[in-house]
Amino acid sequence: MRLLHNYHYAAAMILFCLGLHTVIVRRNIIKKLIGLNIMETSVFFFYISLGYLKEGIAPIRVGGAEPARMVNPIPQALILTGIVVAVSVTALALSMVILLYRQYGTLDVDRLMREEEKGEAVGGGEV
Amino acid sequence: MKRVISLLFIAALAVLLLYVVASMPPMGDPKNPTATHVIPRYLERAEEETHTENVITGIILNYRGYDTMGEVTVIFCALAAVLAVLGRERRGKIFGFVDRSEVPSSTIVKTMVRFIVPFIILFSVYTIMHGETSPGGGFQGGAIIGGSMIIFTTIFGLYESSRRVPLRLRAALEGSAVMGFFLVGVLGLVGGGNFLTYAWPRVAGNLQPSLVVWLTVLVEIGIGLGGAMVLVSILFAMIREEEEIAPAA
Repeated sequence: MRLLHNYHYAAAMILFCLGLHTVIVRRNIIKKLIGLNIMETSVFFFYISLGYLKEGIAPIRVGGAEPARMVNPIPQALILTGIVVAVSVTALALSMVILLYRQYGTLDVDRLMREEEKGEAVGGGEV
Repeated sequence: MKRVISLLFIAALAVLLLYVVASMPPMGDPKNPTATHVIPRYLERAEEETHTENVITGIILNYRGYDTMGEVTVIFCALAAVLAVLGRERRGKIFGFVDRSEVPSSTIVKTMVRFIVPFIILFSVYTIMHGETSPGGGFQGGAIIGGSMIIFTTIFGLYESSRRVPLRLRAALEGSAVMGFFLVGVLGLVGGGNFLTYAWPRVAGNLQPSLVVWLTVLVEIGIGLGGAMVLVSILFAMIREEEEIAPAA
């Protein structure tokens, strides 16, 4: 059973779907952002698992560690960049959310859409 | 109805992804394509080429130096965008509309935070300084410093916290982090090598390994402190706005 053997990958995919579900179904924007972060985490998990080696060791050459047994260092280096980008995206999104709340007093997406329509009907798109 | 459709869509996506996973090569096999192409060379040669025992640090700060440069740029763009969205913080003004009353929290919490924050910062210094021989490095250590400041701010409030890390200090460290990283990188170009590499044919055959290690540590410290200050600045910008929109009691 390949699927059971690749259980890391399978778990990452399920985590991704859970995050996507949160993004689509939840109405609160903060919860959507949490879902986005879950999706990002699942991608990081998937990448790190790709570099996994059976009975591998950390890629640090101390104490005569043999390179043949080391896990793949490139996904780890790439995901370090990915984490920083994810943090930046989250920070920017949260600051936008703060502005939205300040403007409309709600974080509910449906209500925000209704407010937007009302604003368009009354003020001609001017908010 | 919407809920059912989205559930169906996600179930279909999950089935598709799991089907792909089932046809991927077995996890952890040394003969995987991910482990056979460029990796053995990095693992074999990284120590002599980058003078760091930690191959990941070698990749981040040497082989993929431009990548890390972009990463530093991204986090500074994030800071610039957050400040553009939430409003810039002017010197002295931060004290203007933040109420100075202490955040209500018990003595136990305050004493514990006071006690534990120095140790967190000590740990982050360890993480940064040992980045080339152990797991860790600039970004991780910086995130830990940022975390300690976030704990401090939640317990003691923005006023106390912004007195500890004033705007002048933050601005100077943020700027010097990027500039330090860039300068060390360009030194490699001036010396006749590549960006952020330490083989400088125009100066000497090769730099002393100890000097290379110190340059690496310098870059790590710059990244760490700069990243930490960016995190703290983003946090301050968010809290400040939150206090401003809070209804006047």
